[in-house]
This record gives sequence, structure tokens and C-alpha cells, in this order.
Amino acid sequence: MGANASQLEKEIGADQFPPNEHYIGLVNFGNTCYINSVLQALYFCKPFREKILEYKAKNKRTKETLLACLADLFYNIATQKKKVGSIAPKKFIARFRKENVKFDNYMQQDAHEFFVQLIDSINETIMEKQLSGGRNRTQGDGDMQGGGGQQDSGGGGGGGVSHLQQQDNTWVHEIFQAVVTRELKCLNCEAVRSTDEVLNNLSVEVHQNTSITHCLRCFFSTETISAENKVLCENCCSLQEHQKRTRVKKLPTILVLHLKRFQFLGQYNRTLKLSHRVVFPLELRVFDTSSDAVNPDRLYDLAAVVVHCGTGINRGHYIAIVKSHRFWLLFDDDAVDKIDPSVMEEFYGLTSEIQKSSETGYILFYQARDPT
Amino acid sequence: MAVQGDSGTKEEIKTQFTTIEGVYRLLPLSEYSRPNRVAYNNSGGSGTIPPVRVSFVSLPDSSGSVNSVNGDRTKICFNYGRELFVYTYRGIKKAADLTKPIDKRAYNKEDVPTCHDFNSTTANADGVSLLVGLLGGQVQLIDPITKEVNKAYNAGERLIDKTKVTCVRWIPGSPNQFLAAHSSGHMYTYNEELMCGVDRPHYQLFKQGEGYSVYTCKTKSTRNPLYRWVIGDGSINEFAFSPCSKYLAVVSQDGYLKVFNFDTMDLVGSARSYYGGLLCVCWSPDGRYVVTGGEDDLITIWSFHEKRVVARGRGHKSWVTVVSFDSFTTLYSDLDELDTCTDDTSKHNSYSNDVRGSKTSNGAPSSRPSSNRNSLASDGLGLSVTSYRLGSVGQDTLLCLWDLKDDVLTQPYLRPRSSTVVSSSGVVNSGGVGGNQTGQSTANAKCNNTKESSVGSDASHHSHSTNSLTAKLANLNFGEKKDKEKGEKDHKRSLSLASKNSTQNCKGSVNKNQVGGSTWSSEDWCKPMGTWVCPRLDECPVLEPMVCKKIGHERLSGLVFREDCVITSCQDGCVLTWCRPGKQPGSNQHSTPSPTTAVAMGGGPIASGGTVV
Repeated sequence: MGANASQLEKEIGADQFPPNEHYIGLVNFGNTCYINSVLQALYFCKPFREKILEYKAKNKRTKETLLACLADLFYNIATQKKKVGSIAPKKFIARFRKENVKFDNYMQQDAHEFFVQLIDSINETIMEKQLSGGRNRTQGDGDMQGGGGQQDSGGGGGGGVSHLQQQDNTWVHEIFQAVVTRELKCLNCEAVRSTDEVLNNLSVEVHQNTSITHCLRCFFSTETISAENKVLCENCCSLQEHQKRTRVKKLPTILVLHLKRFQFLGQYNRTLKLSHRVVFPLELRVFDTSSDAVNPDRLYDLAAVVVHCGTGINRGHYIAIVKSHRFWLLFDDDAVDKIDPSVMEEFYGLTSEIQKSSETGYILFYQARDPT
Repeated sequence: MAVQGDSGTKEEIKTQFTTIEGVYRLLPLSEYSRPNRVAYNNSGGSGTIPPVRVSFVSLPDSSGSVNSVNGDRTKICFNYGRELFVYTYRGIKKAADLTKPIDKRAYNKEDVPTCHDFNSTTANADGVSLLVGLLGGQVQLIDPITKEVNKAYNAGERLIDKTKVTCVRWIPGSPNQFLAAHSSGHMYTYNEELMCGVDRPHYQLFKQGEGYSVYTCKTKSTRNPLYRWVIGDGSINEFAFSPCSKYLAVVSQDGYLKVFNFDTMDLVGSARSYYGGLLCVCWSPDGRYVVTGGEDDLITIWSFHEKRVVARGRGHKSWVTVVSFDSFTTLYSDLDELDTCTDDTSKHNSYSNDVRGSKTSNGAPSSRPSSNRNSLASDGLGLSVTSYRLGSVGQDTLLCLWDLKDDVLTQPYLRPRSSTVVSSSGVVNSGGVGGNQTGQSTANAKCNNTKESSVGSDASHHSHSTNSLTAKLANLNFGEKKDKEKGEKDHKRSLSLASKNSTQNCKGSVNKNQVGGSTWSSEDWCKPMGTWVCPRLDECPVLEPMVCKKIGHERLSGLVFREDCVITSCQDGCVLTWCRPGKQPGSNQHSTPSPTTAVAMGGGPIASGGTVV
């Protein structure tokens, strides 16, 4: 491990090593790679890291929350004397297991579920703090409603998917939240009803030999609701055929895309991994924005990828690939390696239909490249 | 165990597809691959092997004439994994004989072939020069027929460039110069007769411009490389010479298309992908348009005259790996007065006049597409439409064919709402102005700069965007069809506008007007979005493919149009031949089936004779 770390330093070169940057691996406590990989990805999402470190600076002594533990961990990484090395995220993992009974074991868990839990937990802590801070709670927009994250089919048991009801906006929202408009148009009277929904990440279906662009387009595709599924149109006062479509109204600073690679199959009573080849470019825009979207051409850069290696949801391994300055790095628990961006091709997936082990992009973190 | 619930992957692989001119059929006997190919079996390792590419050459017979239809003098080269094969391409008439490759080479793991190109200028009845670019950066020169030539450039220590060769081509018309692009973002001009130095080359700045620079080699005696081009940021993925050989279009991983005057090394124009790298590029047969494909799943059509992106095409479900014009199905205007404008001289004149008003000396046209007039040309009440046929293949295993109509390509940028109020104009008028469009812009380009010619097209905007445009817009609000359905349909007009926002969106129209009135400037480099270099999605037309078919198990990496067939190549090492309508072996040669009869033919992939009216 030590040899590996110093090798990384050598590979990058002392003069090339970005100042104030640390590439610190995280020790695995027995199947905790699903936590390690997400934490590394988040650490290298700069806007998120800055907010967490800011929280740490402002809140020296707070009660132990998951957010406080995360802030300590990030602070610990950012203030390491050495540029490379590894640390043990012991306190964070203990706290996380304590808060989430479902994860309190040594089984492999779903990195996406962990991400959702973590973001919700941080958000709750901040909101509690804002409330107890004596601020008057202003009434949020009446149309804000919906779940805090898409449930994925393989998830099983929705632990703590919180309801983001009328609320103040926190910085977590600013960073991760996409506002999508679900429009329902009556095909009889053409009246359009729309509801806004906030999502901390978009969970997209994967299809063989496609791109993440295509997966996103499917997510936003138009569908007709007819036959027995007709919906009541208040205007027509009767059940009518409707057309449903989803558009993005507000794009987040960090667009988190979850590829639904784990599919529960009833007849086998188990969850299978879809290893389909889904390519993801280093730059991205979202095609399906609503007509009133604020910044529909927002350009994103790939910042981090959580990769799942193996055959199934409860076995295998997670690693993180992150971009830091001009380098791409691969974090495999406590091991950190510099990689060539062309290696990314190995994580797109397999074109074979035969079920086998694969190393595939699972959660993509795209960060907005906003004019500075 | 096959994974269920994903209908997309179960889609049948097509063995034929129908266009307006008829049915294209797969010829199973004309499939080229490595000899003794094992049954399809994805080892999973193919993810990182270079794309399977195809090169063709037609050797002249001893009397010196080239007959491209004569199969036995046509040679095909393709790479697969560590191997490179050269066969006699027997075309659609005879089955492929895979047991007798002309040449077959296996390379080391580090030297996997990535690209290749025959020199058609020096090819003779006895031999041909073939360049092979390798993964490690070397370029090899071999004669696969005589096997007497075997030279290597940038070999050994690879002092010139250690990165993958991404594209290698002979400079058109040159017996000995070639150009090799690398994933380092550098491109080198070599002379095959010169040596590469034994020391690392020392470069001297020769020419510099916006986002590129050209260096010469600082040596006493002339040696390779003659020039080093450093272009953009990131890998150069492909380059293509214009049909007149004068211009060079280069696409890079940084998302930029850059078009250079190859001789003067001046940058004459550029475009930016919507996002992500650009992977492929080609010129229209008349040199008026450059088309790119890339990681935004789009094709982007850039006008050489106007120096702007004029349309995008959306039909692929993944990255577009090859774009190629089908010069045999590209239609030229039928109007008498325009015949003079579409012949060689004026065509080449018009595009040898670039914006900077450079001298009119032009390279000899290297290829003139055959002018093909069938029922399409007289489509719609005798109006003449200039239409380009473009093909594209991608990582989605889809082959898309696009008909690019001249009237769509010459529209000014869409200003929301303005086009919807266009009233239907008289047929005569519409024909006159619309038809004149070609002549007009040609004339403009001759003596004016691009700005004026774009004003010219602006003036005629109202008449030429009528019929199809208004009709399409009527369907275009919320009621858009599912993409899936769109993709399946065959006979569909390829025009539709950017569906989103097109009807309601008025924002930023002031900004757009400004943009429409100016050519691209250096500021566009920093913020290309919303400029001519990269218009917003709702500012320029978004086309749909006329044909969109899944034709392989694996991602596609090659597409070549020939007079009697279309050739595609796939990552699994198969090179497929698709017979053009009316060209089937044993069928009547002289007639092209009309669309209706073509559809009615249906039938299997190799319907035997008697199917043609």
C-alpha cells in the first residue's frame, strides 16, 4: 500500500501534483467499498466538497450526526500531511450503520441506495439546523412535492426515503436537485396539467449498445395513457386518454445519473445485473428541457464514476473513477492509481448477452461547467 | 442466461432495408471476414480492440483504365484485432472466397492496426501502396500484392509520436505524401521516400492560428515528418480531404471540427459538437457541406459557404462512428438553368472561393458524383430539389440513411414562431425561388463573402420553407410521437424541427437575431453555444433519418458506398455487402424499381430473379 502510494506520487510528479490536493484511499472494513466509492466520488465533486468543508469550519462542536462525521472525514483528507496515502473512515461508517439498521451488517450493499440515504440524511440535518437556528420558515412553493429519490427496482425496502415537502432550500438542493415537470395532457380537451417533482438523481433504464444520452431520452420519453388506464380530466369531467411526458425545468449543479443495472426477476426470485454497454461521454447536455427551463444548454463535465464490478447487487466490488485537475484517478478502497482517460472504455459494459461478471459504470456524476 | 425485460436488445437484426429508390438486400455470400471465422461469440475482450475499418482500391488493368464495377481488380483491406487482411473484392456478382486472401498479416499486441489507406494514384495492374497505421504510433507502408515494399515510419523508438495512429491517408493526387493523425492531437505530413531521422525531431513554428499551429522539422536535409500540425485539445479522431483536394476537415476529441486550406494552412472555418468529442467527418460530393458525427449521438451538417452549422440529425442511440455521403444517390437539380451551375466548373469555382477571397486556382476535381435522376427529382409538382444522401453508422449497431434536402440546409436559423406564419406560396414562385437558391448562393459565393450570401438565403426564406415545414410544425407540439416509433418507420420525410420549444419558446430571440447576422468570430471560441459554431438546439433544424435499421450484433465501424452496393463493417470482424435495388445478381439491370414495387417485393434477403418490373 505504501509502495503504491509513493508510486502514485512519482507518477504524477512533484511539480505536477496539484497544490492543496490529496489523493487518499479509504480502508475497507469488510464490504464497505460501496461507501468508499461514493465518498470518493463526492469528495471530487468540488462544489459538494467545498460545502462540506465549510460546514466543518462553521460547526466546530456539534452533536454527532452523519453530516458531522462526513465533514470530519473530508477535513481529515483535506488536511493530511501527505499528498497520498490512506485513512480509515471508521467513525463515519459506524455512525452510518447506527443510523441505518438495514446497512448494519457486513453484506455488500447498493452504492446508489447509500448515496440516496447519505444525501437525505445530510439534507435533514441541515434543515433541522436551519429550523432550530430560529429562522422563520417561509412557505415553500405549493407545487413542490414528491419523493427524494427514485426507488430502484432492486432496492427492496425503502429505508429512509424522505419526503421533501414544503421546505427551505438547502445547499444540498442547490447542488443536486433537478426539478422535473411531469405534464399530463388530456387528448380530448388538450388541457395540460403539470406537477413539479424534485429529484436528487435521475435513475435511468439501461439498454444494450446505447449511450447515456439515449437512456436519458428514454427517461423523458412521451407516453400515451389509454384504455383501462385512462385518467380523469377535471376539465372534461370524465376519464380521458392522456399523454404524459417529463421535462427538466431546473438542471442541478451536479447531475447524478444512476444506471438501473440491477433488475429483480420474479421468476428467478433474484436480482440480475444488466451488463449492457452504455457509453458515457466526458461532456453532456440534457436534451429534454422544458420551454421555461432556466439554463437549458447547461454543459456538464464528467467528474466521477462509481463502477460496479461483479455479477450481482449483493456481491462484487465498487470502485470510483474521479477527475482531479487534469488527472483521472482510480480509487479502489485504499489503493489509488492514476489512469489514462481512454481506460474509461473498459467501464462502459459488455455487448454480450450472456450473464457474466463485468465492470460497469453505475453512478455518473456530471458537474456543470458554468461560466466563471 | 439471457436477461429479460429489455426488448431493445431483442430487436431483430435486419437483412434488408427499404429506401425511396427500392430495397437494399444483404448478400450473405459476399460477407468478408477472417478465414475460418468462428461462430459469433463475443469474448467481451472486443471492447478495447480498434474499430474494424475498410479500405478499397480499384487497380487499373494493363491498359490503364479503371473500371470500378469490375470486381476482380477491386481490392478490399480490413483490420480485425491483431490481424490485417487484403482480399480481392468480388462485389455482388460472386461470393467471397475467404480461403484465398491476397495478404494476411498478424501484428504484435502493441502494434495492432488501427487504420489503413490504399494509394489510388499510384496503383497499377501489378501493385498498390497500402499504408497501415498502428496502435503504437508507427505507420507501415506495404504492397500487399507484390509484397516487395515494406517500409516503416516512426518505428523503433517512435521518436515522432508514441500515441495511437487514428487516421492515415494519402494526400489526394500525391504519389508519395501522406498524412497521419494521432491521439496525441498531432498530425504529421510524411513523404514515403524520405527517411525518418535517428534523433528526436526538432520543430520550428511555421504557421499559427486560432487553436492550431504547424511546425516544420529543423534539419539540414529534408526528412520526415515534413510538417507537424498541432490541433485543438485532445485526440484527432479523423480527417478528410475535400473532393477538390484543397481543403482538409479535421475532427477532434475536444468537440471541434476545423477546416483548413491545406496548402496555405489557413483555418477557414470551424464548428463545435453539441457536446462531447467528434468522431468522424466527411464532405458532400460537391464540397458544399461537411458532416460530422460524435459523442452527442448527433450528426452535424456544416455549410462550407456559410461557415455555419445548418442542421443536426438525430436518429442514433449511441455515438456515431462513421458518416459517409452516398454520391450515387445524391440528386442534382433538374432545372435547365441550373444545369450550368451543377457542372464541374462552376461547382468547383464556387467552393474554391473561400471567405478570405483567396485566389481561384483550384485543384483538379478528384471525383465527380454521377448525376442520378429518378422519380425523386421530379417529386412534388415538377419542383426540383437538390438532395444529398448521407449514411451513418454508430455504436448502437444502427445504420441510418438521411436525405438532406437543399432547402432545409439553406434555411437561416430558426427564429421561434417566424416560420409558422409562413403562408403557402404559389407553386411557380416557390419553385422559382427555391430552385434559384442554389444558383443564387453559388453566385454569391463567387464574388461576395458569406455574410451576403446568407442574406440572400434569408430573403428567400419565406418561400422555400413552406410545405413540409408548416405541415411538420402542425404536429410538433405536445403530440410528438415516441422516438421509438419514429425510428421504425421507413418512408418518412426527414425534416422536422427541434421538437422541444419550437412552438412556444420565444426566449432569447434578440440574442439569436444578433447571432444570425454575424459570422463566427474569435469570441465564439470561448463560448460557442448559440453562435454559428454551435447553435442552440432550437435554432437550427433537427433532421430524422429516412432509414434506421439494426444491422449487427456489435457496434458498427465502417460504411462505404459503391455504385452497386453498400459495405458496412462491424466490431465482430464482419464486412457485409448490401446490394442496391435493381442490382441483385440475376435481376434485370436496366430498371430501378419504383418505391411501391420495391416494398411489394418483400421477400428474403436474396430474392432470385424475376422480382423486378
